[in-house]
Amino acid sequence: MSYSLQKKLVVVSFLFVPVALLLLFLLYPSLRLLQFSLTDWNGISKSFHYVGFENYIDAFSNPDVWKALTNNFLYFGIHAIFIPLEVMIAVFLNNKMRASNFFRSIVFMPYILNGVAVAYLFSFLYNPINGPFNALLESLGLESWIQNWLSDKSVVNYSLIVVSLWRFSGLHVILFLAGLQSIPNDLYEAATIDGAGPLKKFVHITLPSISRVMEIVLFLNVRGALQVFDIPFLMTQGGPGLASTTFTVYTIQTAFKYNNYGLASSLAIILMLMIILFSYFQGKLFKGKGD
Amino acid sequence: MKLTYRTRSLPLLYLLFAFITAIVLFPILINVFTAFKTPGDLMNSSPLALPKEWNFGNLKSAFEKGNMLVGFKNTGILVLVSVFLNTILGAMTAYVLNRFDFRFKRVIMSLFIVAMVVPFYTTEVARFQIIKGFGLYDSIGAPLLIYAGTDLLQIFIFLQFIEKISSQLDESAMIDGASYVGIFTRIIFPLLLPASATLGIIKAVDIMNDMYIPYLYMPSKELHTLSTSLMSFVGQRASSFEQLSAAILIVMIPTLLLYLFLQRYIFTGITAGAVKE
Repeated sequence: MSYSLQKKLVVVSFLFVPVALLLLFLLYPSLRLLQFSLTDWNGISKSFHYVGFENYIDAFSNPDVWKALTNNFLYFGIHAIFIPLEVMIAVFLNNKMRASNFFRSIVFMPYILNGVAVAYLFSFLYNPINGPFNALLESLGLESWIQNWLSDKSVVNYSLIVVSLWRFSGLHVILFLAGLQSIPNDLYEAATIDGAGPLKKFVHITLPSISRVMEIVLFLNVRGALQVFDIPFLMTQGGPGLASTTFTVYTIQTAFKYNNYGLASSLAIILMLMIILFSYFQGKLFKGKGD
Repeated sequence: MKLTYRTRSLPLLYLLFAFITAIVLFPILINVFTAFKTPGDLMNSSPLALPKEWNFGNLKSAFEKGNMLVGFKNTGILVLVSVFLNTILGAMTAYVLNRFDFRFKRVIMSLFIVAMVVPFYTTEVARFQIIKGFGLYDSIGAPLLIYAGTDLLQIFIFLQFIEKISSQLDESAMIDGASYVGIFTRIIFPLLLPASATLGIIKAVDIMNDMYIPYLYMPSKELHTLSTSLMSFVGQRASSFEQLSAAILIVMIPTLLLYLFLQRYIFTGITAGAVKE
């Protein structure tokens, strides 16, 4: 068989399955979603009607949707506040310190654990009656801080965000650490010769060198915060009331609990557009900063 | 930033990391203690205390009542089959994308990039219908097909590794009369095995920890995975914390062990995708 014929066969046959899976389970569903979002389909009946942009109008005029989005924003904001701290921890871990490898493993450990197990583990910790977390506060003499962590509307989101921080901060630290380790040491040596102090080195060498990792962490944060699902779904079912409902929890419940596929699809499309938009602007922001 | 600290600030650094270690370990250790307490012990002592005597009964009963054996079996099947398919498909895709020029190459590459931006949870509403249409709903085939698809990160890392394999190897094999398929199976794929190991471990951890796809597509009791076994166990007996903690511990152990022994590969995989262009 000639190599040019072989090439055609190899290209087609090697790519057939991966591309088919991609189209079938990711891209085709996205297009279908667009279609469903314009209908009143309930997910069960054989027929449906096109209703134009009615679902989108419903979605935007629904205060519950806005409430859910506010919750997502809270996840994003608090995770963002922790980024400087994560960078700092990564810088410390990158130093010549004994047990640095041990601490590295510890920091990353929560990310590796089963998400369902983590969610239930924290439900147990937050237990109002004789719960370990309250017991800890008591033993530290902080009884006045004791709360109904998961049933108080004004506290519940923060309780859940703590779980999210516990789980994902380690991943960010490790990513920053990888960025730091890719910086050649000569840069620092040269800067030392030029008389730069630690702060100058940090601002002029370290920060610019980890900007790509920063971009990835921010992207993960946007994506993660807009899609928060398992922690509230497992720990509070979005409750009490809608206090800890996130956009994805709301979408999934609209679809699978209330059988309103049309509205759920439009919510999904809105989420998709938000993620694309944020990533686009973030990309711009970082490109603008570089040379 | 490599600095060597003056000895004066070093204790502070250790203090900081001891504090972080405590934050990470506190929930896990409390859970371990609770898993070994008797109900009476749990009622009468502080939740922070060590168990009075280590009681293994909770683990046994959580394992049996929580249907964990089935969970281990199904999770095991999912991990083995998906990782196997995933590795082969990923390597094949990367081989073709790196070694050949053809029409639609850019289109295919951008399809993988688009797929990365599509939010995973939301396409579910439509994907659900496709799985149902195939008659795969409530069968192990559904997650297998979904997990088998390769993702951008994977292809990216495979591409980096293939780049480093000299194409002179391909050429000399061609002089010896090897076919492209032969080059792939006898030269490229074996050289990609180290990368495959790293990617496979990461994928395995992801699949072991996933709850969402099994929860939606395999609701039957016989098809429970570790994650969904735990979910239904909690649904049944939310109040007995010693058994709940035991079940949580059982579900955490597999990935924890994998992590302890294969950390190096997990770190390389996670960071390789992020740092290199």
